[in-house]
Amino acid sequence: MADNYLKLVNTGFTKDLAKSLGLPRPSILRRYRPGQPLVPGPVVVLGAGAAAHELTETLLGWGLDVRRHAGGSEKLGALILALDAVEAPADLSAVALETGAALRSLLPGGRVVSISRPAVPTDAPARSAARHGVTGMVRSLGREMRGGATANGILLAEGIGADAPSATAALHFLLSGRSAYVDGQFLTVDSPRGELPVDWDQPLAGKVAVVTGAARGIGAAIARTLHRDGATIVAVDVPQAGDALAQVANDVRGTTLQLDVTREDAGTMIMDHALGRHGRLDIVIHNAGITRDKLLANMDAARWDSVIAVNLESQLRMNEAFLAADLPGLRIVSLASTSGIAGNRGQTNYAASKAGVIGMVAATAPAMAAREGGINAVAPGFIETEMTARIPVATRTVGRMLMPSLMQGGQPLDVAEAIGFLASDAAGGINGQTLRVCGQSLVGA
Amino acid sequence: MSRRDVRLDAVPALPRLYAEALANQVRTKLTGSSGALVLPEVEHSVDGVRADVPRLEAYQQLVGDTVRPTLPSVFVHGTVFPVAMSVLAARDFPLPLLGMVHLSNQVEHLRPIGVDEALDVRAWADKLRDHHAGTAVDVVCEASVGGEVVWVGTSTYLAKGIWAGQRPERRRDRPEFVAPVQTGAWRLGAGAGREYAAVLGDYNPIHLGALPAKALGMKRQIAHGMFLAGKALAQTAPREGGYHWDIVFEAPVLLPATVSFGVATTDRLRSFEGWNATSGRRHFHGAVRPL
Amino acid sequence: MAAQASPAQASTSGTTGLRPAVVIGGNRIPFARSNGKYSTASNQEMLTAALDGLVARFGLQGQRMGAVAAGAVLKHSKDFNLVRESVLGTALSPTTPAYDVQMACATGMEAIGSLANKIRLGQIESGIGGGVDTTSDAPIAVSEGLRAVLLELSRARTLQQRLGALSKFRPKDLTPNAPGTGEPRTGMSMGDHQAVTTAAWGITRQAQDELALASHRNLAAAYDRHFFDDLITPFRGVSKDTNLRADSTLEKLGTLKPAFGRNLGEKATMTAGNSTPLTDGASAVLLGSEDYAREHDLPMLANFVDFEAGAVDFVNGEEGLLMAPAYAVPRLLARNGLTLQDFDFYEIHEAFAGTVLSTLAAWEDPDFCRDKLGLENALGSIDRGRLNVNGSSLAAGHPFAATGGRIVATLAKMLHEKGSGRGLVSVCAAGGQGVVAILEAR
Repeated sequence: MADNYLKLVNTGFTKDLAKSLGLPRPSILRRYRPGQPLVPGPVVVLGAGAAAHELTETLLGWGLDVRRHAGGSEKLGALILALDAVEAPADLSAVALETGAALRSLLPGGRVVSISRPAVPTDAPARSAARHGVTGMVRSLGREMRGGATANGILLAEGIGADAPSATAALHFLLSGRSAYVDGQFLTVDSPRGELPVDWDQPLAGKVAVVTGAARGIGAAIARTLHRDGATIVAVDVPQAGDALAQVANDVRGTTLQLDVTREDAGTMIMDHALGRHGRLDIVIHNAGITRDKLLANMDAARWDSVIAVNLESQLRMNEAFLAADLPGLRIVSLASTSGIAGNRGQTNYAASKAGVIGMVAATAPAMAAREGGINAVAPGFIETEMTARIPVATRTVGRMLMPSLMQGGQPLDVAEAIGFLASDAAGGINGQTLRVCGQSLVGA
Repeated sequence: MSRRDVRLDAVPALPRLYAEALANQVRTKLTGSSGALVLPEVEHSVDGVRADVPRLEAYQQLVGDTVRPTLPSVFVHGTVFPVAMSVLAARDFPLPLLGMVHLSNQVEHLRPIGVDEALDVRAWADKLRDHHAGTAVDVVCEASVGGEVVWVGTSTYLAKGIWAGQRPERRRDRPEFVAPVQTGAWRLGAGAGREYAAVLGDYNPIHLGALPAKALGMKRQIAHGMFLAGKALAQTAPREGGYHWDIVFEAPVLLPATVSFGVATTDRLRSFEGWNATSGRRHFHGAVRPL
Repeated sequence: MAAQASPAQASTSGTTGLRPAVVIGGNRIPFARSNGKYSTASNQEMLTAALDGLVARFGLQGQRMGAVAAGAVLKHSKDFNLVRESVLGTALSPTTPAYDVQMACATGMEAIGSLANKIRLGQIESGIGGGVDTTSDAPIAVSEGLRAVLLELSRARTLQQRLGALSKFRPKDLTPNAPGTGEPRTGMSMGDHQAVTTAAWGITRQAQDELALASHRNLAAAYDRHFFDDLITPFRGVSKDTNLRADSTLEKLGTLKPAFGRNLGEKATMTAGNSTPLTDGASAVLLGSEDYAREHDLPMLANFVDFEAGAVDFVNGEEGLLMAPAYAVPRLLARNGLTLQDFDFYEIHEAFAGTVLSTLAAWEDPDFCRDKLGLENALGSIDRGRLNVNGSSLAAGHPFAATGGRIVATLAKMLHEKGSGRGLVSVCAAGGQGVVAILEAR
């Protein structure tokens, strides 16, 4: 399933050919490998808010080469825009223009991360305008970036400092190769909770994670990624997928639980297995999902109901069981979809279920927070899986290339990385949110 | 009654005996001298007969017996029987050897016989008697080791259509055969006769193929009676000690064939039967009793 | 015999003073009818899949197990070290020792029982027992004639010797030998043997068809209630036993013609419907000491209490080919101070419906129990509602060596679900043999 086009336009004489022909040239993304530097070059912190100082301390603490101003011909790894103190639209100007001047110095795979505060209805209009303006600027910047570089933002709720654990963790995630396919997105930190890992390469050490739909595709990637980050995996899938599931479990030294998640007692089965066999349950990834595409005019009850049952109702039921069991610090991550945000022809049922997940996550968050846990969702865009590999080559190539800012489809790993981040204790201050992993696709923008 | 001893240098080859017998029969036919039906007062003997080990192993494998260094009773028979045939093929024997029907055997296998033991063999004909279908005769073979008799086998043959005196009344019909509980099924190929002949040297044409068998009045080639006995004993004969066994042959086994086989044990007597499940005819029955 | 005073309460430890061997769980691939879905799968591939599914279910990756014991009834000569070769292909530690067992259809039971003994003796802490068989990818040998020629040829040193060897070659030697299900000593197929026994015990066609129907219905119901979700791992796109006919009826079974014992005429009652078909598949059971299970946070479903092998003289017609369990069970019961009625579940392998029913009839028969078993009274009847309650071989199929693993894993789970009681296993085997066992709930 290698994207041959991606290889062609980035290597050898075909690279030059593509350049001279003006063909779109998607870049090979900077993806996380354990032990690699967090960013490819020095980090420049721009802006003057309280955050600027806190962020600098954090970055220095990570051993990075930190500058307070861009300048000269030096290549840069990342630009951090401290915009937490903007009170009026005019406050954006300096940082925006300085950022623009430094963009050409950004290395391939570089990062722009803004730190600001979300606009809230109690804000004065000018402040709200400025704060909201940040999101438009960063999202547009994402579209202007080259070389696999991305622009994302962190929104700090009132009273949360830039040194809050989850703000730090979000910054770490967005700077790292783990966020390779996350572009033009904002993560909101609304609580001071969260615990930073001892080892950033093992953020899930000692955790027990259940991954549903783990037999193949994104689910298998999630299992492998969470295992890489230190978690013990309980791989769940329907009994019919048990052979592929066993292979995944054996690869990650986990255990299998052949279980149809639509069973009434699925939540109990999962807890019994995790607690009985591994002594604890820290993370649940609701990844199991199905598509039964049909135009609504042609939709039958079996197609509609099964998609809702598997993708949404099962999660609601399992979450109820988990909440009832009062598992301390449980972190849940659900799979939504950009189809659930933007809609997609032929996917009324699927989009209903995935938009439903976004609503479910938001509404479940307070109950999870009350138990020291959290629940979030990840909405993948065009991801290269066995499923998308069946789309005809031309459609697929155009689809994956032209729509997202990153001009390519994502890998299952990219989704898994985002899930791994949200599942970690470090993300404890992030709750009820849906993070898109779509390469800044136009769909649902 | 003492018999004149005709001492042979070695166990004769059966094909040569068959050839001699044929020559005798042709001569008798030509000269027309049938003579009186009187058994000669002779015994043929060979000393120091030893089993051929490769042949023993081939036999044991052929009949499904355990390969081990003691001689199965039917293998002893096969080894010593040419001496008896020498009696039957001799010019002074009053019945035509070729075409005689093998009716039954009774054997005293007095003790296990080691493969390395030298057998002194004597054979004679005995008890010439009337039979409703002709004249029956017993051929007795006796094998001893250093003067100890270890094996005595009596084979009963029938010369069809030849009577010394009055033709006896036909025996009343046998009771209808009722198949016993089946314990085995023997699948015998068309070449079963040739395979047995290759091991024990009994190249009687009626066993070899359809054409020679037809030439001798059979529908097709038939299995050697002693091959059937050998297979039966491979299952039923005791592994230790001496034993008596007997077998009576009825309908011949036309090859190829599937012979249904049944063994039943009551007290120490182990009886067996072989039959054709399709025709319902019995091929043989017999019994083994430890001594 | 103080131990017999209250057998219902007594801990059924056949050999006291030993620690328990615990059944932790099992795994099998779905069984598939011969020359069907698994027609190109080898024994090694299937056994590896069954082991890997077990490893995945219980997180045994990289573990050095005490031993893996399994086997196949029909084996290629290249598979001389089948189990070890399979283990090397799994996620288990390559330092796990493994050995092949072969006891015909009782291979799985013997493998599991011998591992349980090692655990009880303290020689090993953990083990995996099981079996595999394929009648699709079966070994086909050259004929004896060709084999003899080839062997002689390989020994020949001179041209003359080589020509001599070649001269013994006959065209008919080219016909290969496929393995049959015939008993080598009797030449009768297993089905024809059982047909004789079935007729001797007067087992009716109706009774056999009813047992077959119950097997299919019970197995289907077990699937429906997800009973097999943690006992089976799919293989080659198959997730359910392909022989299962959930919609079978007595009427459909009644239309089938006798397939065995056709010589018996009117008394021929055994059909393809009430006999197991040739099947491909593999199974594995995880056993361990209590310490092992606790240390690894693994479930303890049942104790493998004791087992007993039996054999009968079918060659000389003393007993029916598949009746050995009828003899082994009373010995096992006596050693454990139990009666035939002291069980909550009976797992009697359905080689043929007639086998199960003949065995039950024998235990109910005072004459048989007195004359053949040397007992004062008949062993008596069992509660048929406790027999093969989740289906057995008639529905699931019977890949010879894999059946023991299927039964032990199934029974252990049933006992654990019930939470108390005992189960009796009875598996007959070719060669007039059988292995029976007692499991106790935990």
